[in-house]
Amino acid sequence: MNVPMSAVERSNVFYDLLAKFAPAGVPTWVLALTAAGVGVGILITFVSVLAMFSVWMERKVSGHIQCRYGPMYVGGWHGWAQSLADGIKLLSKEDLIPLGADRPLFMLAPAIVLASIFGALTAMPLTPSVYFADIDLGLFFILAMSSMTTIGVVMAGWASASKWSLYGAMREAAQVVAYEIPLGLALLVPLLVVGTLNLREASELQSGWYGMHWLVFQNPFVFPALLLFFTAALAETKRAPFDLPEAESELVAGFMTEYSGIRWSFFFMEEYAAMFLMSVVAAIFFLGGFESPVTHLAREQFGADSPIYQATAGFVLLLKAMFGIFLMMWLRWTLPRVRIDQVMTMGYKYLTPLALVCVLGAGVWEAIF
Amino acid sequence: MDFQGIHDHLRAIGAPGLLGVDEPRAMVPGEKPGHPKDPGRAGDPYVLVDPNKIVEFIAICRDDPRLAFEILMDLTAVDPKADDPNLWLVLQLLSIERRHRLSIKALIPKSNARVPSCTAVHRTAQWHERECAEMYGIKFEGHPDPRNILLPDDWVGFPMRKDYEFPKEYHGISCE
Amino acid sequence: MSSESRGSIHLDEAPRTLASGEREFMLDVHTQDLEVNMGPQHPATHGVMRILIRTDGELVTGAQPHLGYLHRCAEKIGENVEWLQYLPYTDRYDYLSAMNNNLGYSMAVEALMPGLEIPRRAQMLRTICVELNRIGSHLVAMGTYGLDIGAFTPFFYAFREREWMMALFEKICGARLTYSYIRIGGVFNDSPPGWLQEVERFCDVFEEKWQEYYDLLVVNQIFVQRTANVGVISKAMALDFGLTGPMLRGSGVDFDLRRDMPYMLYGEMTKQKVFDVIVARGEMGTLGDCWDRLYVRVVEMMESIKQVRWCLDNIKPGPVLGDIPKVLRIPIGEAYVGIENPRGELGHYVVSDGGKIAVRCRVRGPSFVNVAVLEELLPGTLLADAVAIVGSTDVVIGETDR
Repeated sequence: MNVPMSAVERSNVFYDLLAKFAPAGVPTWVLALTAAGVGVGILITFVSVLAMFSVWMERKVSGHIQCRYGPMYVGGWHGWAQSLADGIKLLSKEDLIPLGADRPLFMLAPAIVLASIFGALTAMPLTPSVYFADIDLGLFFILAMSSMTTIGVVMAGWASASKWSLYGAMREAAQVVAYEIPLGLALLVPLLVVGTLNLREASELQSGWYGMHWLVFQNPFVFPALLLFFTAALAETKRAPFDLPEAESELVAGFMTEYSGIRWSFFFMEEYAAMFLMSVVAAIFFLGGFESPVTHLAREQFGADSPIYQATAGFVLLLKAMFGIFLMMWLRWTLPRVRIDQVMTMGYKYLTPLALVCVLGAGVWEAIF
Repeated sequence: MDFQGIHDHLRAIGAPGLLGVDEPRAMVPGEKPGHPKDPGRAGDPYVLVDPNKIVEFIAICRDDPRLAFEILMDLTAVDPKADDPNLWLVLQLLSIERRHRLSIKALIPKSNARVPSCTAVHRTAQWHERECAEMYGIKFEGHPDPRNILLPDDWVGFPMRKDYEFPKEYHGISCE
Repeated sequence: MSSESRGSIHLDEAPRTLASGEREFMLDVHTQDLEVNMGPQHPATHGVMRILIRTDGELVTGAQPHLGYLHRCAEKIGENVEWLQYLPYTDRYDYLSAMNNNLGYSMAVEALMPGLEIPRRAQMLRTICVELNRIGSHLVAMGTYGLDIGAFTPFFYAFREREWMMALFEKICGARLTYSYIRIGGVFNDSPPGWLQEVERFCDVFEEKWQEYYDLLVVNQIFVQRTANVGVISKAMALDFGLTGPMLRGSGVDFDLRRDMPYMLYGEMTKQKVFDVIVARGEMGTLGDCWDRLYVRVVEMMESIKQVRWCLDNIKPGPVLGDIPKVLRIPIGEAYVGIENPRGELGHYVVSDGGKIAVRCRVRGPSFVNVAVLEELLPGTLLADAVAIVGSTDVVIGETDR
């Protein structure tokens, strides 16, 4: 365990596969780059498919909450191909850049936003042995990368040369900065219990009690921290009830108003990718990650190396993340929007002190027990 | 109070500018509605007021405890005929406390259509007077914000007057 | 709005020389207020209205509504078409409560025809239609207000009931939105068989669903936080601005034309104590805030149901149109009749010279008067509150501009 391994060798399963099948004489760095490229490709595909599925899910969930069906025709069964059709439509749209817009910033903003979320997602493990990068500072890396989306949003609002977009950007900056603090503090609580920032290891350490030794059950302060984290995550991802930056009925689409076609779809993908990211972090650091009675059973039956176990574990994590996304959607279509000064009040005056109390309590509990 | 009572009270307190009344005639027995047997008038009674004293008049209507007309419901103008030398300025007052209404009419000459503005007494008059001004060409003296309200700022003419000619085009757009 | 728009930081003093001999260095920061256009195309202005807003950050420092984008010269048209031909135009100013508009116009013209008797069944049908339309209009008000605040779902629930109401109206007069059903002298035609039973079923279902709207939107904590203490209209301000209807009752003034200056069957209903007038009591926040106005609108819907039920209990067969000639010549006269629209008092001032065509057909739209209050209410609020306040006035631009 303490043998220092080169970063490349430890990086991912694609590298191992390539190393097995590559012709002799190919230098390591070529293999590493190719492995990284394959990993990136798989990640982009995964996130795109996920975003498309989430969009379809959002439309069905919102439809059913509002007493209607949602997409029903495209593709046959309940309109499953609706997102695909929408994606193709967006690709074929005219690329409009407003006349007074700051062109370089305008074009750069969606790229920054999407790139930072993709970067954050590289720390996420797909299954216990398949991951893009095994980062020891996994959680820290995720938080840092996901904060960079704010830069992109503010850029988008400014570069759009529209006063309403500017409002959206200003609100976004204020809101995200306010909620970074409770987000981080709420995550400190499970960290105190589990002791590692690495997502894969954190998941492994919750494997007791037949797969139910989740962090929420290990320390009584972790459950309030979960609620705080979830609220702060809603604010970070600009989801209702904190969706002021893109408040539809006030600012049309806030900072995204002037974007159309493929550029807009970048923002859209980023929103669902960020929701997925926050759900995965919640799933791993609060709700057991890969662990559940089913994975425990799979591990007993088939062993820790078998592909069945890997697939089961990955599926369990995906299910938990999807439940988190469903919860976010449910809240969006039920609750009205909170006003910006109330958002800030909540963030600074209520969530932050509560998070601090949770951290203190968790620390005391850990010290005693 | 009914209209008779209101009018008597107005006369009793010496409301400024009160010129007269006009009341509808009673129905003639055997008369079918829509086929009047003799000329006369149907509808509501109204009080005729001197246009220059109208601000004081409605101030008294608002402040007098037995009248108590807190709300100016409507302020509008009528152009009865193309060759009539006068425009009518018609106000409707409502009292919430006393549950009664009053119609006020003032005759304004078309050649010199000026009236003092009632905005100081009822804030709601501000927008009604703007509409009157742009539609009929009445100048409301002392109005704090005399801009066009429904028509564009560069509209020519007073549309609601009976002798108004529709423009043939507006900024190059044909109005035929 | 004044030509100079000062920002939030004003440096009026000259830099001083401190005791140590240094000169104070002041950064000359001039911020300018931002002038933004809310509308005419905007999701939250309920139509084509333009409000020029001057803001300092998120704080609104000035507001100026600009109207006229939907001006369709209804009053000029009234002077050029015959009495009955004008009726479809009345549908179209406040298109959300077209039955009320028809009623107002018909009653004003009927006031000029003394001795005209409107059959009782016609009055019953008129009342049923008018109150059902009031429910429909308040449903839209509530649903779109929820949309403005960010609650997307109550809108769909409200429209579920509104669709049923519109289907009922389609059965009785053929149109879903602009009815031209209430005519001078009565109503256009009798209700089809089974219609009254369906109205009763609607009332039963609506009473259950009303509780859903109340729980989901009106007492939702976030909604209350967004609307309580926002846009407070005091009683004096309401009277000065000529507000009527829910705007006035939301400020605590107990006045409703149906009860206090009754017309049609409302006098009988008042004597039999069929319905109450809902006046806000400032339960959440200050009396006269946006929440109070929405509360009045939502609870009024239940009172309308009571009135509809009374009519259903007391309606009897009979003629539905009074005895009016085919070619209508209205006697010389002028009349003003005001009725209680869902938005306030809708007044029609009609002048006739004895002919087939009106001399003047003035419409006093309550929304026109309600919009004027925005100039006074908006400065001093936050931008998100501005949206809440505009939504709480429940303006329909068709009525504002006519």
